[in-house]
Amino acid sequence: MPSPPAWLGHSWLAPQYLGWLGQGLLLTAWLALLVCVLGTLLGIVLTALADSQHKAPRYVAQLFLTAHRNTPLMVQLLLWYFGMPSLLPESALMWLNAPHALALPFGLQLPWPSFEFLAALLALSCYGASFIAGELAAGLNAVPRGQREAAKALGLTALQAFRWVILPQALVIVRRPLLGQYTGIIKNTSLTMAIGVAELSYRSRQVESQTLLTFQAFAVATVLYLALILLWQLAGRSREPAWRGAR
Amino acid sequence: MAGCAMNTQLIADNIDYLLIGNWANGQPGGLALTLFLAVAAGSIASLLGLAGGIALTMGQPGLRRTLEAVIAVLRAIPVMMLIFWCYFLLPILLGIDVPGIATVIAALALISAAYLSQSVYAGIAAIGHGQWAAGQALGLGRWQTLRWVILPQALRVMLPSFINQWITLIKDTSLAYVVGVAELTFVATQVNNREQIYPLEIFGMIGLAYFIVCSTLAWLGSRLARRWQPV
Repeated sequence: MPSPPAWLGHSWLAPQYLGWLGQGLLLTAWLALLVCVLGTLLGIVLTALADSQHKAPRYVAQLFLTAHRNTPLMVQLLLWYFGMPSLLPESALMWLNAPHALALPFGLQLPWPSFEFLAALLALSCYGASFIAGELAAGLNAVPRGQREAAKALGLTALQAFRWVILPQALVIVRRPLLGQYTGIIKNTSLTMAIGVAELSYRSRQVESQTLLTFQAFAVATVLYLALILLWQLAGRSREPAWRGAR
Repeated sequence: MAGCAMNTQLIADNIDYLLIGNWANGQPGGLALTLFLAVAAGSIASLLGLAGGIALTMGQPGLRRTLEAVIAVLRAIPVMMLIFWCYFLLPILLGIDVPGIATVIAALALISAAYLSQSVYAGIAAIGHGQWAAGQALGLGRWQTLRWVILPQALRVMLPSFINQWITLIKDTSLAYVVGVAELTFVATQVNNREQIYPLEIFGMIGLAYFIVCSTLAWLGSRLARRWQPV
């Protein structure tokens, strides 16, 4: 039997290392899910601010958007991770770094996330929100002007009109671009390895340096990313007809 | 006031290192290396993207399907993974020592080329069918029509997506930090580790540097697009 080429190495990944990669995948998916939710909420707030009739909120939103879009996510991550401690008071830091558990009903406990996870969550959400807001604004502009006037005629306040008339229609229009942004968020979680979040990319490096099976470690991680993103896109697409029909 | 003086001192002490790294000792780094990475990867990506987009338009079905599959995979994996592939596996595959800078350029050029191929393809598709027919009526072949009739119009349509991709590329050069290439983000973390107490100032400052580079490019792009408007 011919021996495998040198770059392939001589063995397959032991179950223990596959377990590490599996844990990494779970953390990637969990972080991405939280960022999608938080980023969308923040994106909606930013869009509402940018759409305001007053100058001040519009400027604040514009500043937030350009600052986050025109600087690298990596720098924003490092800024949150290294910079947040110097802004927070000592006592808050002690509390953040100490292990905590959120008590849930039925005796369940949710462990309080690590400091690097929190920094990653904040940085990714702000970055994601600045792009999500762009898509939402485009969606808002695509909603005919008459809709707003109709809502006004019905006696709705500006906020009510936004929440009940404009936003639902804009969301239908921006569905596809928004799905693209969420795919981007899954991919962006890989940058959090730089601040020590043990997600999939971090785990692949860890497995690589432990086993020296370079090809295997990165191949499994790449396939896991592909599977996660494919699954996500299929899930997003499968619900499309129902949404389309709602229009 | 003392804090302010400290900050001025901090910047004065480190500005050279942040701008050009260890260039005096033959190891350029910092903002200079960031710009080099961006220009090198951006040029390769633009040529590859143009070739890819033309292949998607003109190629045989077999070639097109293969190319589409490669592009789909490249777009679905994080840039970080692609950098790992190039950085750790290229040297083993080729059996030679590939400098980290070259592997990062290769990874960034590949991913940007994948996105640009699709923009070029879409740009060409946006030019009406009548233009192809007009080229043929003038007695031009398919490739001649592409070169002299379609591309000059399509490139104008594509300009905004090229600019956006270049800006993304500049931001993505910061990922080189993870494999120890001494670009701006990497030298900033070195300075941060040395100084310990000014993370906000240091990362805020390099954020501003990236911001200036990216928004200048965006501004130039929009000016060019206005002057170069599709007729």
